[in-house]
Amino acid sequence: MDRRTWKAGKMRQGFYGGNLTYAMLVAPILFLIFLFFYVPVGLAFFWSFFLERPFGGGSQFVGLQNFSRVLSDPVYWEALQRTVVFMIVAPGLAIGISLVLALAADRGLRLSQAARNIVIWPKAVAGASIGVVFVFIFNPFLGIFSPINDLFPGLWNPRIDGNDAFATIVVAQVWNGIPFNFIILLSGLQAIPDTLTKSAAMDGAGSWRRILDIQLPLLTPQLFLTFVLEFVGTVVEAFGLIDTMTEGGPGEATTLLIYKIYVDGFKAYDLSGAATQTVLLMIFVIVMVLLQFRIEKHVKYER
Amino acid sequence: MKTNFFAALVLGLSAAAPAANAAEIEFWYGNTGRVEEAIQSTCEAFNAAQDVHSITCVGQGGYEAGMQKAIAAYRTGKHPALIQFFDAGTLDLMLSGAVLSVEAIMPDVAWDDYIGGARSYYETSTGELYSQPYNGSTMIFYANMQMLGEVGVTEIPETYEGVVEAARKLKGNGHACPVLQRVHPWFSLEQFSARHGEAIASNNNGYGGLDAEYTFNTGLVAEHLANIAAWRDEGLFRLPADTPAGKNGFNAGECAMLESSSAGYGGALAALGDAIGIGFAPIYEGYDRHNTLIGGASIWVMKDHEDASYDAARAFLNFVREHDQQIAFTRRTGYVPVTNAALETLKASKMAGEPEFATADIGVASLNMPSVADSRGIRLGFYVQFRDIFIQEVTKALNGEQEIQAALDSAAVRGNELLRRFEQTYQDVELP
Repeated sequence: MDRRTWKAGKMRQGFYGGNLTYAMLVAPILFLIFLFFYVPVGLAFFWSFFLERPFGGGSQFVGLQNFSRVLSDPVYWEALQRTVVFMIVAPGLAIGISLVLALAADRGLRLSQAARNIVIWPKAVAGASIGVVFVFIFNPFLGIFSPINDLFPGLWNPRIDGNDAFATIVVAQVWNGIPFNFIILLSGLQAIPDTLTKSAAMDGAGSWRRILDIQLPLLTPQLFLTFVLEFVGTVVEAFGLIDTMTEGGPGEATTLLIYKIYVDGFKAYDLSGAATQTVLLMIFVIVMVLLQFRIEKHVKYER
Repeated sequence: MKTNFFAALVLGLSAAAPAANAAEIEFWYGNTGRVEEAIQSTCEAFNAAQDVHSITCVGQGGYEAGMQKAIAAYRTGKHPALIQFFDAGTLDLMLSGAVLSVEAIMPDVAWDDYIGGARSYYETSTGELYSQPYNGSTMIFYANMQMLGEVGVTEIPETYEGVVEAARKLKGNGHACPVLQRVHPWFSLEQFSARHGEAIASNNNGYGGLDAEYTFNTGLVAEHLANIAAWRDEGLFRLPADTPAGKNGFNAGECAMLESSSAGYGGALAALGDAIGIGFAPIYEGYDRHNTLIGGASIWVMKDHEDASYDAARAFLNFVREHDQQIAFTRRTGYVPVTNAALETLKASKMAGEPEFATADIGVASLNMPSVADSRGIRLGFYVQFRDIFIQEVTKALNGEQEIQAALDSAAVRGNELLRRFEQTYQDVELP
């Protein structure tokens, strides 16, 4: 018996007797998951094979036509491409910056106690609110980059330049993601026994050497967790930011898959197209998570 | 306590009993702010004016949100008897099988009295009015007469040539934003084509059948958008993205001229006061002026309710059509009266000269301009989605990613795909 199953078995015996209690305890949440996840997902699968009228009635089976339509639409592939870029850039920055902050806070630098508290505040702000604030911060005429526009008129304008708009979404997403990653990584760092770092220091290892050879390897479980959550999060959570900041524009520059589904399904009454894209997005996320868990084999949980 | 409760219950029941065909119905609307307040007071007035029916008016926070909720509600059988819906979804509702035409349930109303541009937008190809025009607006031209006066222009230009001439003078005078122009198809495609009498799609913009195809990419619209791009490069036209106040550039006093909805008049009047002048939206020289299209929204009657509910719905629709109600609504919102009779009543009254009613005259005159088959309205499937595509493609042209002509061609190709899918979705339904 490996260590993890042994642990689970022990916990099971420890608290309640009988399986019924467990079943009753998990039933409510299972019911909610069934009602608000599996039923809609099932419906999406169903609709993706039909042409569905918004008000119902007259839906007709069209086989794989919806899929071939979506998959042959260059706009869909562009949205997928943007989503992948976003999935790499935003989590990369969000975790990289959090890691730097966590390492600094862990070292007990001056004011790190205060910084630890301040860094987690953004977590309390809802995505949509962040969007509203960042729209103002990045306003080409009034925001922080307006001096650039005074020197080079029109250089910074996320209202019409796609790359600028994409950058603002990335910045907002990263800002939003830092607190949680910071907490996870900092707690991971603090769980590393300081005897290890102390003895390394006595052996003459400098702080960079200690980070590379001791702290980062021992931090892999936390790094893995933050990457999994960030990857999945960027696919679905960017919605609030996009909706408040750019509405997918200018052009389609910030139309990620999740936003395209919303627009097609709710604003354009293309239920079949939106359902098909939902199915494809789900497959995409599942593939991503499976890939990540293949990587997990290299993550060492043992200390 | 208990006896009181039962007494109240019995009383309530006995009060409800005599009026057998009384009904409580719901009306869902999308407007917010000042318009919402006006709608709510109309509902209160209706409930106060008679004691047979009662209506509950429920705000949905937006036209699109209202439609989404109506779709969900209809699919579960909990939809309201009356719902307000905006112009672009007309065809979706006509083919939905979820609505009754107002002419069918109220044959005695003088539907011909509804102003031309409003009727044609909401009627079938055979002339049956499907929904009752309610908060009607249309496109008019706004000018800041103070700014124009500084460069010696005293009349509001009626042609694009005139607009450009005035804009050049303003620019020569150091003005940063002579004309504020939006690329949303309501401005640069629909209203533009209608008042020039041009089609944006075959089959008279889809009135003739679901097999229509977009044609705007080869017409005057292509020329117009290329002009807008050139005028923007010259510094005469500005997009909302180019000016600090964005869409509000005119009200903020940054821009001197603007094509916009008559419904925005109240806000402009509050912001700029006497300085604003309004006129017909400009056309190109050498074209005859046709009607502009109605904007805003109309009220639809939904299926699957009891007879008594339809009595209540009829009563409410008749009530909002009353001249006093229309005039009060116009005063509070800036929407135009939607029947000719109400407009006449307004003109004959001593209120006519008040600034709140300035758009009524010019808006209705614009809607009542000579109509041709191509200026009746838009009857194209998935049109809301097409609007987004048009904005995306044209924006990508204006920020330099592609040429205007390429943008319009690709918008037409993508639009045609939507039309074909719409046709397939409703293949066994006949376009009324």
